Amino acid sequence: MMISRSRLVASAIFLLTISLTWWMQSRGLEPVFITPTLTGQAEYCLTCHSDLKEISQSHPVESFGCIICHGGERLALDADLAHSSMRGANNPSALSVVEQSCGGSTCHSRDDDEMGDHIQRVSTSIQTTYAGAIANVRYAFGAQTDLTPFFGTLAIVDTSLPSKTGILFLEGYSASSETHPSLQKFGENCLNCHINSQPKEGTQQTTFSGCSACHSPANSGEVTVHTLTTAISYTQCNNCHNRGNYDLSTMTFVERRDQPVTRLERYYQPIAQFTQCEYTLDCVDCHTRTEIMGDGDIHANKKDIQYIQCKTCHGTLTELPLMKILTDPNDLAFRLAQLNPVVDLEIGDTILVTEQGEPLWNTLLLPDGTYEMIGKVTHQLFHFKAVMGSECIQDPAKQESQYCHECHAVEH
Amino acid sequence: MNTISRHEFIKLAGQGLLALSGILGFGMLVRFLGYQSEVDTQTEFDLGLASDYPVGTRTHFLNIPAVLIHNDTGFSALSLECTHLGCTLEQNKENYSCPCHGSHFDESGVVLQGPAVKGLAHLSVEQDDRGHLILFESS
Repeated sequence: MMISRSRLVASAIFLLTISLTWWMQSRGLEPVFITPTLTGQAEYCLTCHSDLKEISQSHPVESFGCIICHGGERLALDADLAHSSMRGANNPSALSVVEQSCGGSTCHSRDDDEMGDHIQRVSTSIQTTYAGAIANVRYAFGAQTDLTPFFGTLAIVDTSLPSKTGILFLEGYSASSETHPSLQKFGENCLNCHINSQPKEGTQQTTFSGCSACHSPANSGEVTVHTLTTAISYTQCNNCHNRGNYDLSTMTFVERRDQPVTRLERYYQPIAQFTQCEYTLDCVDCHTRTEIMGDGDIHANKKDIQYIQCKTCHGTLTELPLMKILTDPNDLAFRLAQLNPVVDLEIGDTILVTEQGEPLWNTLLLPDGTYEMIGKVTHQLFHFKAVMGSECIQDPAKQESQYCHECHAVEH
Repeated sequence: MNTISRHEFIKLAGQGLLALSGILGFGMLVRFLGYQSEVDTQTEFDLGLASDYPVGTRTHFLNIPAVLIHNDTGFSALSLECTHLGCTLEQNKENYSCPCHGSHFDESGVVLQGPAVKGLAHLSVEQDDRGHLILFESS
């Protein structure tokens, strides 16, 4: 009798256990899959992330999926397991993993004549290496005898030989091995603005690192999640470039405490002078991808890579700005315009080009000999003229902006 | 009326529960063994009756994505997947353009503008016994 009753209880518990297991299993997530055309392998990420907006027009989820950029376990339905092998946590564009995430010969490590190796360029760019600042500060405090750049924020080798600058590598900078206290402080307080860095705790800086430092908008104190854009607003640049000043006596960075209202106040430090276009346009309207992302060579400082001047668009008293007629449908100008379609370029259009031949694809020569530019971010139309034939009294040999400011600086 | 003893009832109930557990357990085993983590993707598409596509027509199937062409030489099909990075092409007048990176192809799939370098893939189309057109996604 006792044996039968025990068997009954055991059977009941067994049945209950199996029923509970079945019930819990059936309550699990119903997989939502996608098979990206680029990989041809199913992934279940959309089971949980179907509400995430498309990251950009150039990276549709139907073609790319999620795994090719983010990594992760494509068939896992458990969140921890699915995320266990993700690259760069929530930022696959961090430079430590960017080659696996964004690289590849058909993506952003292209070896072509359009400077398609974006990763190599950015990794060696002055915005990543900070080589000029490090060399200058070390020189100022006697740690080196000249301004030759020896260090970058990371050790880097120029793999795109031959090098125009002759700088073939930089060693990784470690301020802790410096003997001068100011240099140690420099390392602690002043190396938070390069592309590879994370914002320092307690500051108002809000950016991702890597590609997303520039291409993922961060406004009003929050990074916009899952967005990549080439329409980069000046506010994005401001996350690093107009946040405050260095106090060299204490070797600290002093964040701006003012509450700028107008764009001019928001844009620049109050002591500087600027022309109308310098604060009306966005930085990317004039500064080219080579200036911003580098040209593949390691440079000693910002001046070595930044070359756009007023004359690039306005020419001089003796020369019109450089132009070219678009005749080749494969011209880089069309490619760049396609990524941020603020203009509808056509074969036969004449656009401005820089002295290095980079297309200013958001400009156009008009039939009356004047020019227009479309704001890459604002979509605003700007009409402008060449210096040649105007009343300008410039010295063609003096083209730095300070000379133009003498007549054209706006009051503020 | 037949009666069973309490002992018999408990014994029967126990056996019943065990049998039910066995059925459920077997069901779970079948489900476990039959689980396919990989998803079969469709590679053949029934386009319906061939007579629905008169000579001179070009019919777009965005779900594949492909365009079915019926001209004097018969039926043919082009993939509308960009050969650059696999985005689905959009019809742009008589051509096709890629919304992702700007490649352009003419109506016969030839590259007009990069970054794509390869023309569009030609897909095979066959007519089955019922007169239906079957499009095969792999050329």
